[in-house]
Amino acid sequence: MTQIWSVALITFKEGIKSRVLFGIFIIALLLFAATTVVITLFMRDIVKVAVDLSLSTVSFAGLLALLFIGVNLFGKDLDKRTIYMVISRPVSRAQYLVGKFFGIILLIFVVTTFLGALSTIPVIMGKRFYYYTEVRFDWWIFLIAVLYIFIKLAIVSSIITLFASFTSNSFIALVLSLVTYIIGQSTESVRLLLVSTVEKIEVSPALSYMVDIAYYIFPNMAAFDLKTQAAHGLAIGPVYMIWTILYAIFYMTIAVAVGTLAFRRREFP
Amino acid sequence: MAVISFHKISKDYKTGFRKKKAALRDFSLNIVEGEVFGFLGPNGAGKSTAIKILLNLIFPTAGKAEIMGRDAGEKEIRRSVGYLPENPYFYDYLNPVELLNFAGKTSGMNSLEIKEKTEELLNTVGLWNERKRAIRSYSKGMVQRVGLALALIHDPKIVILDEPMTGLDPIGRRQVIDLILNLKSEGKTIFFSSHILEDIERVCDRIGILVNGRLVRTIDIKSESLSMPLEDVFIKEVEKAGGIRE
Repeated sequence: MTQIWSVALITFKEGIKSRVLFGIFIIALLLFAATTVVITLFMRDIVKVAVDLSLSTVSFAGLLALLFIGVNLFGKDLDKRTIYMVISRPVSRAQYLVGKFFGIILLIFVVTTFLGALSTIPVIMGKRFYYYTEVRFDWWIFLIAVLYIFIKLAIVSSIITLFASFTSNSFIALVLSLVTYIIGQSTESVRLLLVSTVEKIEVSPALSYMVDIAYYIFPNMAAFDLKTQAAHGLAIGPVYMIWTILYAIFYMTIAVAVGTLAFRRREFP
Repeated sequence: MAVISFHKISKDYKTGFRKKKAALRDFSLNIVEGEVFGFLGPNGAGKSTAIKILLNLIFPTAGKAEIMGRDAGEKEIRRSVGYLPENPYFYDYLNPVELLNFAGKTSGMNSLEIKEKTEELLNTVGLWNERKRAIRSYSKGMVQRVGLALALIHDPKIVILDEPMTGLDPIGRRQVIDLILNLKSEGKTIFFSSHILEDIERVCDRIGILVNGRLVRTIDIKSESLSMPLEDVFIKEVEKAGGIRE
């Protein structure tokens, strides 16, 4: 456990001190400021717009941090051989990979917490400065939506870990992770469209089968997007929360376990 | 007692579809406790490959490497080994204290031991006053010295140094030589590769010449008197082995 924790801690420290992270925070701050300005253009549903844009900013900036820092934390180790300093010690390849994954999770947790705290500013301003009150807003649901952004990014971290375990360079891992994220965002909508009884779409059985496979292989990112619930103050049921959290844990475990298996025979010439 | 053993090791690298390049061929070597062994060879001879097999960074195609009688693949055995890679690269945004803390923790040291050893080693390599600066602001020679401190933080019995003089100025080189001699006096086993024949001759008990993946000669510096300078012996051995093959 010491080995995993040591790798996680050094990964986190390297990530949190990265200058790229500073740049991402600047982008996020500008987006939050823009949100505060944009909501003034709306006549109604101001808080809903503020919530939607703020949570989108948290998600976007978190994803940027993950793709540019998280991928790089693996990439530099493998491309520039920083990994020599870890693997030449009593640290197994599996411990390295799991430690790296937890380090990125820790980084994303801090990033999401910080961005989540900042995201409340446009919402508070929206609520305070406009007399029009929207009853259906609940800070708890907003908080759960931020938590779910973190869980979604944690799943992306596990995918990065998986791809980094067998790809030869960090750019390939970045592209594959991004593609997986994009597919994962849309598989649920595509599948719902195909099985919809309202809009009948004629598709070949092969395509339908492929969509089904993609639905089960790629992570269902849409399940962790609670912007609508947060914006409209819609309650999130405990059953939904339990199942989605279990799904996330299951998916991350499988991704990291497969990554660990691939990494066990990896050489660092 | 042999603390480092290579038993008939061969290593092939894939260079393309169905194409392979032999980096080591039937390589066998034993290094005994307390010995300073210098590994000599032209570029691409297989020196780093042998070292990486010993550290489980790569796996042999055939044969077996052992450290203190145990398979080199066992992670616990690496507690007894300190390693400085060729052209080391460390985490850019961390400082040497953070790196040494990581190295100490993963090697099973407690916080107090790490603190004491960190101060001692950073003073030895001349980086104590620079300890709070991130590695990214360090020169190549300074990074090399951080690498040396990392290799020694856990007081290993075996020290493996891959081209330890690379990037060092004459003062840095002198410090490394002194450090190796000091480790030798403490009874550590040192296995190091270098291109600088003068350094090898100065500190080693035995020298191994590796050409095209084969160990062509070992020289016992203490008992064998060379009829010609080491440089000439080296060139002769390389030529005898058929020169350098790409």
